[in-house]
Amino acid sequence: MTVLAVRAGLLLVVLGLWETVGRASNPLLAVPPSAVLPALRDLLLLRSYPDLPANVLLTLREIAAAYALAVVAGLACGFALGFHWLIGRAWGPMLAALYAVPAVVWYPSLMLFFGLDAASKIAFGFLLGFFPVTLAVLAGIRQVNPHLVTVARAYGAGSLTVFVRVMVPAMLFTLVGGLRTALALAVVGVIVGEVLGSKRGMGALINHAYGLLRTADYVALVLVTLALVVGSDVVASLVERRARRWNE
Amino acid sequence: MASSMAASRPPLQRRVRALQLATVGVALAVWETAVRAGWIDPLFVPAPSAVGAALGTMGDTALVALGETLSKTAIAYVLSVALGLAAGLVVGSVRLLREVLNPFVMALYSLPKILVLPWIVLLLGYGTAPAIFYGTIHGLFPVTVLVMGAVRDVDRTLVTVARAYGATTWQLYWKVLLPAIVPSVVAGMRLGIVFCLLGVLVVEMFAGVRGMGYVMSSFANGFRAPELFAATALVSAASIAIVLVLDHVNERLSHWRG
Repeated sequence: MTVLAVRAGLLLVVLGLWETVGRASNPLLAVPPSAVLPALRDLLLLRSYPDLPANVLLTLREIAAAYALAVVAGLACGFALGFHWLIGRAWGPMLAALYAVPAVVWYPSLMLFFGLDAASKIAFGFLLGFFPVTLAVLAGIRQVNPHLVTVARAYGAGSLTVFVRVMVPAMLFTLVGGLRTALALAVVGVIVGEVLGSKRGMGALINHAYGLLRTADYVALVLVTLALVVGSDVVASLVERRARRWNE
Repeated sequence: MASSMAASRPPLQRRVRALQLATVGVALAVWETAVRAGWIDPLFVPAPSAVGAALGTMGDTALVALGETLSKTAIAYVLSVALGLAAGLVVGSVRLLREVLNPFVMALYSLPKILVLPWIVLLLGYGTAPAIFYGTIHGLFPVTVLVMGAVRDVDRTLVTVARAYGATTWQLYWKVLLPAIVPSVVAGMRLGIVFCLLGVLVVEMFAGVRGMGYVMSSFANGFRAPELFAATALVSAASIAIVLVLDHVNERLSHWRG
């Protein structure tokens, strides 16, 4: 209880500081919370950016496409690497080396190839989401107790049965965690892509507000985007909890 | 058993290496043929040979840009490790602080920092300062979070015993906590370097006038695909090399710790 009170107090202190500093400084650079609220109202009532819903929808669609592609490709790649030991031994380290490269390195090439529209954002979100899925599958396969597989086989279970009844339940825990990380990264990828160069979507609106020094609108747009990010993570955590309960 | 393991190891290692080399070779060959045969437009995806040639002609300019990016990254990295270690030690070891701040730290760690980048650029302008600042906040959080967790999980009895023998607070941190969390610090340092480089590159792409991120986005905007691919390869190779060196240091350190 005290912890919650201290947390709330800290939040209030930060907001108060922001308010005083924001009022004292250049309105183009700092926006106090009292100025953000009207901007947020104007934004949500579609006064400042009438095309907000279309842009939100576009960003959500890009995220959905990137995530779906990342899950499918990541699962396929992870199982291929996990089940074929020589390929896994050879390609696993190569994949890990690529994972050590900061992903934004690939973004200019993706933009050149896919253009400024949605495709380059989807490709970048896919790239970020793909690795956690693949790595989670590999880690999950390593976690499966080989005795369980042996016993199942000894009792006459076929490959498909072993996979569905033994392997998937045993690795579900790790797999679901990886899928959740992948969603968070796909979201980040799409937003980073939009901010770095786009004509539509939340990132484009943010850049527009920033470019015109409409700082209050910029902060309001950031808050809306954060709501998308947090919302997607809340959905993912609910799904994760459901999957874990089903597993037990 | 041991001897058969030893005997089977070299051929296995060699088969893995061979497969890796073959993969790269086949990929390059297929890519080269695909471009030459006209299946891929070289305007967007240049042939490996063209990329190699571009690497040769870029030469010094690319290396200068890479040097700028890496020196910004180095400053950001030193700052983020020092600040992250300090913050993680303090927040992790004081219970009230940890319980109050933990959700805030986790939120700041996981939220996309790109959203505050325009504001940072408004405040700090174009150039080196925003790159170092943004790189630092990118690298800071992984280090802080890992150190916080490690300090929290340090064996309580170690602390109690040190206290019972009259260790001062300074000694407690320096002689007990710090040595106990070395593996997490190293893990954080390994994560942190990639995050710092990422942050610096993003700022250079968004609001840069120099550095590899700027060079790459201007190649992309100018449709100079061979140069763009060569620059991408150069940055990737540099970051892989840095991570491999850190991994090597890590391995040495774990040998030394026993």
